[in-house]
Amino acid sequence: MSRITVENVTRRYGGAKAVDGVSLDIADGEFLVLLGPSGCGKSTLLRAIAGLLAPSEGRILVDGRDVTDIPARGRDLAMVFQSYALYPHLTVARNIGFPLRARRVRRADVRRRVAEVAEILDLSALLDRRPRELSGGQRQRVALGRALVRDPGAFLMDEPLSNLDAQLRTATRTEITELHRRLGRTFIYVTHDQVEAMTMATRVAVLNRGRLEQIGSPTEVYDQPASAFVAAFLGSPPMNLLDAELVTRDGQLHAVAPQVDVPLGIRVAAAGAPRDGGDPAAGRAIQLGIRPEHLLVTSATGGTGSTDSTDSGSAHETGPAVLRGTIRTVENLGSEEIAHCVIGATEVRVRARRPAGLTAGDAIALSARPEHTHLFDRDSGRRLVWQSDQPVSVPPARVPVTT
Amino acid sequence: MALAIEGPTAEQAVLEPVAAIAAADGDDIPGGRSRVMTVVGHVTLALLGLACVFPIYWMYATSLRRPDDVYKTSVLPWPLSVGSYRDALDELDLARLLLNTTMVAALTALGQLLTSILAAYAFAVWNFPLKRLLYLAFVGTWLVPFQVTMLPNYVLLHQLGLLNTLTGVIVPNLVSALGVLLLRQHFDSFPKELLEAARIDGRSSWSTLWTVVVPNLRAALSALAILLFVNAWNEYFWPAMVLQRDNSVLQLGINSFLNSTEVEAWGPLTAAAGLACLPIFALYLALQRQVINGFVRSGLR
Repeated sequence: MSRITVENVTRRYGGAKAVDGVSLDIADGEFLVLLGPSGCGKSTLLRAIAGLLAPSEGRILVDGRDVTDIPARGRDLAMVFQSYALYPHLTVARNIGFPLRARRVRRADVRRRVAEVAEILDLSALLDRRPRELSGGQRQRVALGRALVRDPGAFLMDEPLSNLDAQLRTATRTEITELHRRLGRTFIYVTHDQVEAMTMATRVAVLNRGRLEQIGSPTEVYDQPASAFVAAFLGSPPMNLLDAELVTRDGQLHAVAPQVDVPLGIRVAAAGAPRDGGDPAAGRAIQLGIRPEHLLVTSATGGTGSTDSTDSGSAHETGPAVLRGTIRTVENLGSEEIAHCVIGATEVRVRARRPAGLTAGDAIALSARPEHTHLFDRDSGRRLVWQSDQPVSVPPARVPVTT
Repeated sequence: MALAIEGPTAEQAVLEPVAAIAAADGDDIPGGRSRVMTVVGHVTLALLGLACVFPIYWMYATSLRRPDDVYKTSVLPWPLSVGSYRDALDELDLARLLLNTTMVAALTALGQLLTSILAAYAFAVWNFPLKRLLYLAFVGTWLVPFQVTMLPNYVLLHQLGLLNTLTGVIVPNLVSALGVLLLRQHFDSFPKELLEAARIDGRSSWSTLWTVVVPNLRAALSALAILLFVNAWNEYFWPAMVLQRDNSVLQLGINSFLNSTEVEAWGPLTAAAGLACLPIFALYLALQRQVINGFVRSGLR
């Protein structure tokens, strides 16, 4: 097993920083997913860990040993590539045994290990075939086998499922999770697919423009996004973000914008009176975040009548309406509906169980529980939490992030 | 009462688009070239092909005519005769000429191939200071005319005592800028992930070249090998300078045969030339598939 530490790693291409001062501490046996949009630096970071490119700054340690200047073959890491990178001129057996032959392992041992790995991955019947004679899923398993055969300290995977169809991707996702559980090795997995991140990871590191936005368990990054970027990146559809201002009314903090007045469940007086007699939070420009599944349809009224969500079979509850707007369009996803509503100048998405009785063109009123609201600083995008007498920008969980 | 399938059946649903395509199918292929253009294209290519093949055919046809029929213009050489071949073999030491030429061509081509692989791999895969400048300088030597380097090379061979030896013919030609240029294109387009996978799997750069890159570029290497071999095989001027003997390699031998006869003995001459071409044909036939693949991929077809 391997503990992998990334210390303040930066990678420059000319003047541009593909990875910008990222630090990570990945424990033995952890399944860490590097998640982010295309071009965020996640693959570059993985390749730096693998030893395929040198960091411009910073250090990489494997089990406490500085491997920054050690070539890839000396790091005891195996990698599965997005394209699988199988050697086209070699059979499956020789592909799997390739790393062992490179290390001059005896032929008999190579054969034995290849047979063992092929057994684990259900490839025994395919050992004499060449990669071009295999399906995408089989190729993917051969690539895994080649990584598995030399029993490395950690596995690095660069979007290994992106070339598979949806059905096979789901099945292989489960297989990789099972493999991680069985081997207990460290896995670092790069993906832009949040479903893969949420379902496979023990921790997720979200990257944006080369910087680490947040690292935490899938639940933490989903429920307590450290920034508006993380909030908008995770979730399908993503979290609704509305520009608003903080207002104190009747001793309660509200997020207010045109057609929006959301009580945040924070009693200013109870939290402590401001020292200078004024409310420092009042008038502060923020972004209000509410996930589509946390918006409750209070009423939807159109030409054909009104709809109360409690009657429509959805799990929504009626409450005081805090957002009012018009339904622009409704997407039918089978088990649920996504309503795209125009509220003020912003489009807000609402997820509701079918049939929710929502119709395009109808007026809609929505509510949200205070505990389901998120506040972000409008300038920095960082998450805001209420502390004794004023909202402050807080660092994300565990790892400091420069804003 | 019976259960009925709602809407059109699958069979009906499939038939409709097929019928629509059938109706649209005319003389022209949608989005493609018309049949007339296709026929014109094929006829043009066939004529060009015939124009290329005809001189070779005429050479063998002449060599197979009876000595008295050499100047006949009938397309078919009838009756056949191997008299010209017998005369050519009597006049020329063909076995030794073939052996020498094969040795020179094979060693030159092998040397060029080896140096081209190493140089092209370095230029394609490694990053080092002044790489682009060095590459341009390297490839630029291709543009230097032979006549410019001929005399310095000749003087150098004289000083090294390599004049009049086959080694003297081979050594100055061991590097081919054309080979580096062509192979670099192939190495550049070689999947980088395969090279990275080999690094992760424990291969050194040297080992990656021979165990991953070269086996996967056999087509390109075969194409280049045959090109280099044919170039070396057909070389006349440089061997003529270095060897200073008329009977060392095939091209010099044929020329000497042409000059030695008072009358123009076209029959034995074409027979000797025909024999000189056979090894090239054999090599091409053996590597045909790789050669075509290699040229197609390098855009040189």
